[in-house]
Amino acid sequence: MPLNDKNNDRATNEFNQYVKPVSLWADAWKRLRRNKMAVLGMWIVGIYMVVTFGAALLPFKSYTEQEMLHINLPPSFKPAGVVALGQLEGRKADLEAAIVKSGRPDLKQDLERIENEIVQLKGEIDTDPKHKRVYILGTDYLGRDMLARTIYGGQISIMIGLIGTLTAAMIGIVLGSLGGYLGGWIDNLIGRFVDLMYSLPYMLVVIIIMSMLPTGSNSIFVLYIAIAMISWLTISRVVRGQIISLKNSEFVEAARSMGAGSGRIIFRHLLPNSLGIIIIYSTLQFPSFIMNESFLSFLGLGVSAPRASWGTLVSEGVQGMQLYPWRLLVPAVAMTVFLFAMNFLGDGLRDALDPQSKNRN
Amino acid sequence: MSRFIVRRFLSVIPTLFIIVTLSFFLIRLAPGGPFSGEKKLPPEIMANIMRKYHMDEPLVNQYFRYIGDVLHFDLGPSYRYKDQTVNDLIGNAFPVSILLGTLALGTALVLGTIVGITSALKQNKWQDYAAMSVAVLGISVPAFVVGPILMLIFALKLKWLPTSGWLSSRAGALTLIMPIITLMMPYFAYIARMSRGSLIEVMRSDYVRTARAKGLKEGVVIRKHVLKGAMLPIVTYLGPAFSGIITGSVVVEQIFVIPGIGRIFVQSALNRDYTVIMGDVIVYSIILIAANFVVDILYGLLDPRISYK
Repeated sequence: MPLNDKNNDRATNEFNQYVKPVSLWADAWKRLRRNKMAVLGMWIVGIYMVVTFGAALLPFKSYTEQEMLHINLPPSFKPAGVVALGQLEGRKADLEAAIVKSGRPDLKQDLERIENEIVQLKGEIDTDPKHKRVYILGTDYLGRDMLARTIYGGQISIMIGLIGTLTAAMIGIVLGSLGGYLGGWIDNLIGRFVDLMYSLPYMLVVIIIMSMLPTGSNSIFVLYIAIAMISWLTISRVVRGQIISLKNSEFVEAARSMGAGSGRIIFRHLLPNSLGIIIIYSTLQFPSFIMNESFLSFLGLGVSAPRASWGTLVSEGVQGMQLYPWRLLVPAVAMTVFLFAMNFLGDGLRDALDPQSKNRN
Repeated sequence: MSRFIVRRFLSVIPTLFIIVTLSFFLIRLAPGGPFSGEKKLPPEIMANIMRKYHMDEPLVNQYFRYIGDVLHFDLGPSYRYKDQTVNDLIGNAFPVSILLGTLALGTALVLGTIVGITSALKQNKWQDYAAMSVAVLGISVPAFVVGPILMLIFALKLKWLPTSGWLSSRAGALTLIMPIITLMMPYFAYIARMSRGSLIEVMRSDYVRTARAKGLKEGVVIRKHVLKGAMLPIVTYLGPAFSGIITGSVVVEQIFVIPGIGRIFVQSALNRDYTVIMGDVIVYSIILIAANFVVDILYGLLDPRISYK
């Protein structure tokens, strides 16, 4: 059979029939597609990506624009002016009742202020286009649109997750494959270092680094470096193990006998064979990056204003949650759905790419 | 076994030493000090304060002085709370965090294994699907979302539980419920998933088939043979789980205003209260190292195939 025969890439089975060979990736894709939850997760993650990163092209409101007459409006499909007027009139009635009931003249001032606002709002409501806006997810304590803020918050959170995952994977792959392939003192050095880092209270180190930053510095950048610096540990261990188990196999022997150098063996032969497991761990790590970033932002040590991540939004929402629950619930639900989808996708990928995995459950 | 314990114990010392060194220099290199507040102090007073805390000496001297103090279990004065030492601050807060952490871990362990066993025995039935959906939810939702939402529902709307505080307040033990649930959620979920997975694996193993073939009742097989083998991975997970719970309590203590070391840590990090941050890091590291140490020994006791040389 000539080498360039088209049938050459078709395998035959034991009955000498031609079968279409299935690559690892095609096989994994087939398995992934059969897992309904993973497919759902994939769709949700995809939609989030499109909406958050395409936000600039989509007709969303500004996430920084403040509107003092639209403070803390509940989610509604009605125009903002109508909602705000209803809210002000409700507050006015409450105040009047309180003044009559407890006889507190000091509340009169507030009443006057609200009456003035009502007059102002009634004057503008039909002329000013801003009162025609619809805040379907309500507004926050500065009258900013919650929908826009949640989307831009997601952009920052997902961005940090992506960059962090990539950086961690890069460092982990390089150090893990170096240690695994070369062995000896280099492996020992990397191994001891990884052990040491594991015994550090990891989030606390990040908190220390974040608290050290001078105010006004580019905290997002430092934040992701700080998280990525410590998150490569697991990936490097996994890659190292994979490389060690593969480096004495026949195909590596064959490559070496044909004169391939260490670099070529690592990058052309060993790493492509470890790619599955790298993808699995990266996908599973992605949500934990987002959680860690939001955890820091929640404590006030993460992303700083005017930017906001999901964590910042949740922590802002906590402050007024009794009266304005949507300010907490909107970002919390948005974030939870994304993390949920990511976890399902990660589990699905693990089952698809590593069918013999012991961790299946 | 005893030689293993001694050797393992000795290996802790360099780790601790490196942690102390690292945190010392990290914090000292930071711009801005504990006394660089909004109000500018006159230079003479600043110099006096610096002298009092030995901060005018070269960094190396400060470092050795600090190491010497730590060896005497003296973590130094707090720069912010003038009348308290770091030992006082951490000493008061430590039992709070440890109590919260152990209660959360204990609850996660008990509930997690019960749920895991149930869903393994009812594999692919509705109980299984329900339990595992709850588990994914527990893993996906971060504590700072669970905590406030619990608080919103049970404390603010239904008014069943107190919003915050700790044992000493009027509500007593009721104050514990929400922090424990918030803190344990992810670990409960993980333990449930792990115990389900390992139980299913063990139930298919040869020695369990042998036990069934002997004619043992299903209950006896599960109790005496399956559970013992299936618990091993969970024991290994306890080390990381405990350290995760201890660090996770930073956020829970913040939400529910609990006077533990996590709250102190965040406050001192925001205040740049150097000695308190370092003391806290040391305490945290000791807890983590001790947890892993105990787990290593437990593992050897539970699994006869592992021998320590």
